[in-house]
Amino acid sequence: MSEGAMASATRLTPDELHGWLAGMLGDKRVLAAVDEDGLRVFRSVERADQIALPTGKTRWSPKEFLFARTETLFAYSVAGNEVTLDGAPVESAEQVLVGVRPCDAAGFLRLDAIFLDGDADSLYASHRVRTTVVTVACDEAGPECFCTAVGGSPASDKGSDVHLTRVADGWLVRPVTAKGDRLTASLAGVGRAPSPEEHAEAETQSTRVAGHIRQSAIAREWAAILESRFHLPLWETLGRRCVGCGICTYVCPSCSCFDVTDTGSASCGERCRSWDSCTFAAFTRHASGHNPRATQAARYRQRVLHKFSYFPLGHDGESMCVGCGRCVQLCPVGLNVRETVQAVVAAAADGHDAGG
Amino acid sequence: MPSAFQPHLARIVSTRDETPDVRTLRLAFVEPDVARRFRWEPGQFAEFSVFGSGESVFTMANSPTRPEYLECTMRAVGKVSGAIRSLSVGQVLGVRGPYGNRFPVETWRGKDLVFVAGGIGMAALRSPLQFVLDNRADFGDVVLLNGARSVADLVYKDEMAAWQDGGVRVIRTVDPGGEATGWDGEVGLLPHVFERLALGPDGRIVIVCGPPIMLHFMFLALEKSGFTPEQVVTTMENKMKCGIGLCGRCTIGRVFVCRDGPVFTWAQVRAFPKDF
Repeated sequence: MSEGAMASATRLTPDELHGWLAGMLGDKRVLAAVDEDGLRVFRSVERADQIALPTGKTRWSPKEFLFARTETLFAYSVAGNEVTLDGAPVESAEQVLVGVRPCDAAGFLRLDAIFLDGDADSLYASHRVRTTVVTVACDEAGPECFCTAVGGSPASDKGSDVHLTRVADGWLVRPVTAKGDRLTASLAGVGRAPSPEEHAEAETQSTRVAGHIRQSAIAREWAAILESRFHLPLWETLGRRCVGCGICTYVCPSCSCFDVTDTGSASCGERCRSWDSCTFAAFTRHASGHNPRATQAARYRQRVLHKFSYFPLGHDGESMCVGCGRCVQLCPVGLNVRETVQAVVAAAADGHDAGG
Repeated sequence: MPSAFQPHLARIVSTRDETPDVRTLRLAFVEPDVARRFRWEPGQFAEFSVFGSGESVFTMANSPTRPEYLECTMRAVGKVSGAIRSLSVGQVLGVRGPYGNRFPVETWRGKDLVFVAGGIGMAALRSPLQFVLDNRADFGDVVLLNGARSVADLVYKDEMAAWQDGGVRVIRTVDPGGEATGWDGEVGLLPHVFERLALGPDGRIVIVCGPPIMLHFMFLALEKSGFTPEQVVTTMENKMKCGIGLCGRCTIGRVFVCRDGPVFTWAQVRAFPKDF
């Protein structure tokens, strides 16, 4: 995918990079990682100097620009026995996400696998088609990072349209897709070809950052092992700590479960879809009161198995987890999905710890 | 193009109260074009909605061989079903679908059939039962075993005589203590009544729907009677929001009940993780 485009990388100075980014602001919505009250988040920016391309990742993933926290499906109005429905206007304004981390771009590919499979989700598809993703190779790894354990890499361009790599005194800019070619068309005549030293520097950085992520791999074969360990008593031990706050699902780049609800009155309002969480008791509770996942441990098991077993078994072994580590970092009770997976795999099938 | 979540509009043509809390709605699509295009198979379901209250999943209760209307039987237990119950004839609700797989009726040709329905589970079996009635010559001996807690809780009371006349042996039962004066049906739990009927497994398919506890004991009874898990078909229900395999809440392990079901053989159900 990226081999052919490799030759077309351009080396820009910081000023040239900002000139390129400033050029997008005229006709596109540009969303970039910004620091806001001590929190790093993706925000719509108006000026190129707001785009700092900071190291490290945002507090939560930028998935909300493809799969909104809440989105109107249609508006309804009821007058007597007549009902009128108005479909939500399809947003078509182009948007560019600047400074997306490889883990978050990998998350977009997971969302694609879910929402663009079979009965394509036209809302998601409409946001996907109008979005161009500019990724930045990581120049540092956080203690929570484990992308390399789930098939990712801090320099990966998977899910990217234009890939940036920081080098001494400048940037390497490389279009990855046709969308990326269009976004970088304005760079014709700008910058220069990277030197062999700069290519080597990018390579060294990639190796160095990957080396900082010292988490052992979550093997593809574990997906089937995990599924066979559904009844392991260890799930109860691990899962009973979960308080069901849902933070892991909200910050996750690939969590995509949603609710469909009406807001408004019986005479007018909107039907919306909103983020939901498999860690909530009400998620699966029937109207009768019966709940198939009656305990918090059962709900924690569902989240872990969906990421590391059910999804991979249906997607050529690819983990649904992209290893950003946010859920590990932000869990208020210290649950760690990576360690959970390892513990469940290490446990013997009878539920007792095999490894000692 | 409207999103997959935008429903068709359907008007309530008539309602019939089956029990104190179960009602059958007969619906006609507002748009004639939708009425022509909307086709379903026995066992499929749809999302029914009241604007301002939300959506809920119910099985199409009538057979595609009777396509003039869409019928739906629901118990008013939740927010949406309660709101649907409060609607009157002439009012409009939303319908999107049909969704899910279907009963494999073509594989039942020439076989003897037993429909076993507990409580509101009868609503999910009415469509395949009507399909069998409308193609009666294609099937062997057909028995309907329908049970409820009490006589008052039995649904489709007015239709049983016509089903009997159409060539279905109808056996109704109520739980002990649920009988009323003049009750001429059976008294006893469905698995017990099934065993008393002594219907052998040879050339027979059993179609079962009911609450989880009934299913559990029904499958034990079927096993005892020599039925294989492949001979038994059921339809499952789980909380659903999207109906199209996206929202993530109806899953049992890798299976999406909405997309891969709701119809499963007992052999499939036995292989599921115990997450339902």
